[in-house]
Amino acid sequence: MKKQSLFHSILKVVGLLLTISTFIIIYLPILIILIMSVNDSTRGYGWEGFTLKWYTALIVPSAYPEMTALPNLLNAISDTLLVAILSTIIATVLGTIFAIGINALSRKNRIRMVVLNNIPIVNPDIVTGISLLIVFSLLSFTLSFYTVLIAHVFFSIPYVVLSVLPKLKKLDPNMYEASLDLGCSRASGVGKVIIPNIATGILAGALLAFTMSIDDFVITYFTSGDEYLNVSTWLYTVLKHPRHFTPAVYAYNVIIFLITIIIIIFINNVRERKEKISHEKNI
Amino acid sequence: MKRLHGYALPYIVWMIVLALIPTLFLVVLAFSDLALFNLGSFSLTLANFSIISLDTTLKAMGNSLKFASITTIICFIIGYPVALYLSNLKEKTRKILIALLIVPLWSNMLLRITAWEKIFTPSSIFTDIFGLSFDLLGEDIAIIIAMVAMYLPFMIFPIFSVLEKLDTKLIEAAKDLGANDFQTFFRVIFPLSAGGIVSGTIMTFLPSMTAFALPQRIGLGSTTFIGNIIESKFRTEIMDFNGISINQGSMISLFLMLFSITAFILIVKFDKEGETLI
Repeated sequence: MKKQSLFHSILKVVGLLLTISTFIIIYLPILIILIMSVNDSTRGYGWEGFTLKWYTALIVPSAYPEMTALPNLLNAISDTLLVAILSTIIATVLGTIFAIGINALSRKNRIRMVVLNNIPIVNPDIVTGISLLIVFSLLSFTLSFYTVLIAHVFFSIPYVVLSVLPKLKKLDPNMYEASLDLGCSRASGVGKVIIPNIATGILAGALLAFTMSIDDFVITYFTSGDEYLNVSTWLYTVLKHPRHFTPAVYAYNVIIFLITIIIIIFINNVRERKEKISHEKNI
Repeated sequence: MKRLHGYALPYIVWMIVLALIPTLFLVVLAFSDLALFNLGSFSLTLANFSIISLDTTLKAMGNSLKFASITTIICFIIGYPVALYLSNLKEKTRKILIALLIVPLWSNMLLRITAWEKIFTPSSIFTDIFGLSFDLLGEDIAIIIAMVAMYLPFMIFPIFSVLEKLDTKLIEAAKDLGANDFQTFFRVIFPLSAGGIVSGTIMTFLPSMTAFALPQRIGLGSTTFIGNIIESKFRTEIMDFNGISINQGSMISLFLMLFSITAFILIVKFDKEGETLI
């Protein structure tokens, strides 16, 4: 047994303390959101008793005609989900195709493409938002649901590409060549050999794209007109006019939060089982 | 698989249309009186420069740089030891803790800002339940705490991912060659994690510098950031069709772009394949 040096023990204690503080500071707002979602108070300045009405209001809004702010929130929620689902599907398909193309380039060109790909990731959202606003007005697109959708596809693709590329790098290129020799066309070779082997990367990319889209504020804010609101831009507007605020948004957030956690646990379980099976096969 | 390089072509076109052209256009807008919503003839001018020298703009730039620097430094001081600590844990605990760090990011960012607003109000839910009161709304320290909480994970992830992949043989080699733990850390581990530090710094500095909803809510609108000025130039002032506001906004955005370009050069230098970015 090796004796731990002083430096190591200090590092361990400091690391542990800072890790605990990190978890406290990032979970504090989550705790508040949870409490507010079951707090029987519209303005939210204090604790006024336990209620589940914000949750039931999301499910059966017609039962709460007195919540006048609710319809706008529900609209924003359905618009958010619609853009998130559509942009995730489009960005995942395009991003996977682009990643396969990038992977086929020479090393030098591949790095160039990855740099290009990283522009929307590194650029501050506000710059991306303004750039897209400029493109849309150059093309004389009216700011609407569709401009938001294009914007979300634009900032999601790079994440899909970055999730898929490492999986492609690990793939043996001879497998694809073999499929062509065995009579596959180029496209069906991609579908039958490449796609199944990079499926985990595609799934990770899609999940990332979805969470980026559902949570986006800045880029949506700059690329949406007055009639399109997602949950974030709705919230930004109503925070300035508190009469239109409803705590049901806390409940919405908790629900989305729980759904994402369940999806992640599910995916992890599937992956672990798969790894175990392939591990056993190797033995 | 080499013959599939054609699949990358449409991506180049896509990026040229949605990223390159607007950037060039932003430069033209900044240095001319071209009206974005009424394209026509225009003349080059340096008049938009005047916006940068306005007191309010200078103050906003100063605020953005100040708060972003402080936030980034605090995030680094907390984030590096946390990343190091996490990377030394057993695989199972490590995976769970990293997942737990990602989970809060799935809560809407504006709602998390609202939650901080609730924490910092004099008489809040906190006072009712825990008997604590943090009356900090509008104070600089409140903005910094909320920013650190918001961006800390983005400092931890890239550093962690570099440290996790670090070849342990290098550390053993350093020890075999007579280095003590202190030397091993500063001459082997730390330099090898430079790529993660660069990505982490960029991923915290740029978003905190360009934040505009957070300072507005937590700072009660009294602390203006550069983002607030760009927001008003591109969103609110457009409503009265004051064309020039877009050109001024473009000028300020160019100033921000200097920082993103620096970030790009650093990333290309330290992390060619963008592996630390997600």
